[in-house]
Amino acid sequence: MSAVPIQAYLALALILFCIGLYGALTKRNTVIVLISIELMLNAVNINLVAFSKFGVAPSITGQVFALFAIAVAAAEAAVGLAILIALYRNRKTINMDEMDTMKH
Amino acid sequence: MTFSGEFLAFMSLALVAVIGGVLLLNLTKVVHMVVALVFTFVSIAGIYILLSAEFVAAVQILIYSGAITIIMLFGIMLTRHNDSSEPKTGRLRKLLLFLGVLGFAFAVYIGIYNLDIEQTPSDLHVNNTEQIGIELYSKYIIPFELTSVLLLAVLVGAIVLAKRDDEKEAEKE
Amino acid sequence: MMENAWIIPLFPLLSFLFLILFGKRLKEASAFIGILLTLASLVYSLLVLFERLTAPTYKAEGVWLTIGDVQLTAGFEVNQLNALMLVIVSLVSFLVHTYSKGYMNGDDRFPVFYAYLGLFTFAMLGLVISPNLLQTYFFWELVGLGSFLLIGFYFYKEEAKAAAKKAFIMTRIGDVGLLIGMILLFWQVGSFEYDEIFAAAEAGSISAAMITLTAILIFVGAIGKSGQFPLHTWLPDAMEGPTPVSALIHAATMVAAGVYLVAALFPLFTASETALMTVAVIGAFTAIFAASIGLVQKDIKRVLAYSTVSQLGYMMLALGSAGYVAGVFHLMTHAFFKALLFLAAGSVIHAVHTQNIEHMGGLWKKLRLTGPLFLIGTLAISGVPLFSGFFSKDEILIAAWAHGNTVLFWLAVIAAFFTAFYMFRLFFMVFAGEARSDMKNVHESPSVMTMPMVVLGVLAVVAGYVNTPWFGTFLGDWLVEGNHSLGHGHIEGPAWIMAVATIVSLLGIFLAWLMYGKRSLSRDWLTSRAPLTYNLLYNKYYIDEFYQLTVVNGAKFFSAFLRFLEVFLIEGIVNGAAGIASSLGKLGSKFQNGQIQTYGTAAFVGLAILVVIYAVTGGYLK
Repeated sequence: MSAVPIQAYLALALILFCIGLYGALTKRNTVIVLISIELMLNAVNINLVAFSKFGVAPSITGQVFALFAIAVAAAEAAVGLAILIALYRNRKTINMDEMDTMKH
Repeated sequence: MTFSGEFLAFMSLALVAVIGGVLLLNLTKVVHMVVALVFTFVSIAGIYILLSAEFVAAVQILIYSGAITIIMLFGIMLTRHNDSSEPKTGRLRKLLLFLGVLGFAFAVYIGIYNLDIEQTPSDLHVNNTEQIGIELYSKYIIPFELTSVLLLAVLVGAIVLAKRDDEKEAEKE
Repeated sequence: MMENAWIIPLFPLLSFLFLILFGKRLKEASAFIGILLTLASLVYSLLVLFERLTAPTYKAEGVWLTIGDVQLTAGFEVNQLNALMLVIVSLVSFLVHTYSKGYMNGDDRFPVFYAYLGLFTFAMLGLVISPNLLQTYFFWELVGLGSFLLIGFYFYKEEAKAAAKKAFIMTRIGDVGLLIGMILLFWQVGSFEYDEIFAAAEAGSISAAMITLTAILIFVGAIGKSGQFPLHTWLPDAMEGPTPVSALIHAATMVAAGVYLVAALFPLFTASETALMTVAVIGAFTAIFAASIGLVQKDIKRVLAYSTVSQLGYMMLALGSAGYVAGVFHLMTHAFFKALLFLAAGSVIHAVHTQNIEHMGGLWKKLRLTGPLFLIGTLAISGVPLFSGFFSKDEILIAAWAHGNTVLFWLAVIAAFFTAFYMFRLFFMVFAGEARSDMKNVHESPSVMTMPMVVLGVLAVVAGYVNTPWFGTFLGDWLVEGNHSLGHGHIEGPAWIMAVATIVSLLGIFLAWLMYGKRSLSRDWLTSRAPLTYNLLYNKYYIDEFYQLTVVNGAKFFSAFLRFLEVFLIEGIVNGAAGIASSLGKLGSKFQNGQIQTYGTAAFVGLAILVVIYAVTGGYLK
């Protein structure tokens, strides 16, 4: 059928997901952390779309779901940035390692 | 596996996506990181096209490469950020995390490798946008409407959060 | 009267309680309370004694504790020995109370002193009417406490503090022996009652070895209390206490408690030849050992202390030679003349404010009453005929001879010679010749001090006549009446023993007179010839140093070792455990740094580990 098997798409998604995860947990800048999370969501979307084509029962549903995910991710990015800016106004920093009020 | 055009397209797109991700991790300037990620997002859009999802690809480019990247850049510019200041986080933590990610990738790759799904022909590429539209406005109408509510809530919430609290600021000063 | 003999110890107890509570307000008046209450004890004791002369032994007991089938009783008993002891103790105590009124006059803690005296008297009286070992043991320890408090009365003096501690610890060593012996006896007999113990010993229901063991262990307690070798070193040091205390506790009563204990348990001792032999040998050795030290001491009270040790050795020798009557008789006479000597010594110290006999001399003319009284005491203890000591010592020598202990007999004779010599050395040094240091304001003690001495002086002379080979052995007959296990009231001995005793004591006196009275013999006559011996004696055979070197250092070394174990091993383990816990906690708290990324890392690594494990093992599907 297709020259590219589903495993290839899944492997690509896995690699991107891992990069995003690593970035989200190591980067100091909060913006980069948010972006890394977007990358992880993208990896998930790749999976959804890949399964919608190569799944056991191919259907358009996977693509629709990917659309919803994109919408929610966009919303998340907006709220995240709003929080970031509010935080920056109060703490004068956007470094992750200076946000340690959770231990108090 | 033959070196068909589709394969070549996939390989180049995947390569660009991964390079974008790696650059995200290794660049020092924040703005560069975001720009590097734009490449990844665009390549992912190409991948969607390969997967016969033209509409999703278009949305991907609009939302990610356009909107999200731009507001992220705004976020960077609105905040003060000391560039190239990464090394503070513990090395032990990074190492642990790296090992954990490697282990996770390995474990999931085993799963992917053993995946065996019979390929069945699909007609997703025929009138893709129309199919999505029909599905979205018939079967998934309620989630669709809920999404609009969510977006509205996010809109209001983001404004409330980001808005300067004038009264409190005045009190403080 | 005898039914209510239990009241006797309560008078001094009342005095103690009253003075401890209100002494501060009463000040000098506390003396009258102490004196009156002990007088009540004395009067009652005398009444009990007179009644006991004719009436049989009275014993009253009530059940105190019931443990299983065993009943522990508490009560009192008035037998001959107890009645006699009651009178001796309450009499000496009363006289000492009176004497202290003058001697302790002006002391800041005057009421406290009387309170302690009351406590001690209570304990001692309680001790001598106890009908069983357990009760005896209680009072035995209480007596020790009284002794401790009174030795350490001048607690601001380092020596007094050290002496009090030493007395307490040394007697404690003996008490452990007593306690073990007591427990063994209880184990064997199932009762602390004297009567039942004697019955069991006589019936042979205890093995001979066990009788010997328990008797010797109990004797160890007596060794500690009565200052017998090798636990004698505390007694001379105890002279740091006020002199009336020395007279009451460390001469007349408490140190005699050891002798009393052996006498009270006499049937147990007679059941074992070995135990008797031990008592006799220790007694005889102590007698000559302490007497030889007494020869060269320079402190008036220490000389008397060593003579006390020596005389107690005599009593032990008597008891060990089956001379029950002789031992008790000497206990009585010794109580009188030794208390007299101590009170007289106190009077001398009161007058000249020193205890060193090298600085005294020529006091005969200045202390017109103390001098003759001291002489009476000296004559009595030296065994000069017609004085009380003569009769009792004679009894002991006869008992030793009759029992067949020839070596011990001759040891006792030599000890008698030593006794006469050092006592008269003391007398001549203090009273004869010229003053060896300038002493002003030397005056006779007030009558409140001299009167008790006069009473004791009279007793020191006449007390011997209750039991003489010439006028009848009244005391002896009475003591053993109705109790065959105590031996004979009077042991017949060859007449030459009395002659030997007389000659020996007169020889000692004569020698002392030559050296210290007439001075026709140089004082260095002996010391210059045998300086080593002199040093050995002067340093009390280096027993203290020996103990310091062996026991004390051994204990110190052992405790240092234990401390080492404690600090490095036990604390190491404990601190190690605590350290592990706390460092684990610190490590854990490092993760709680409030940074979401750290938490995320931890959570993800955990997830990754689980996922890897499932991927490798295949999970439960495999």
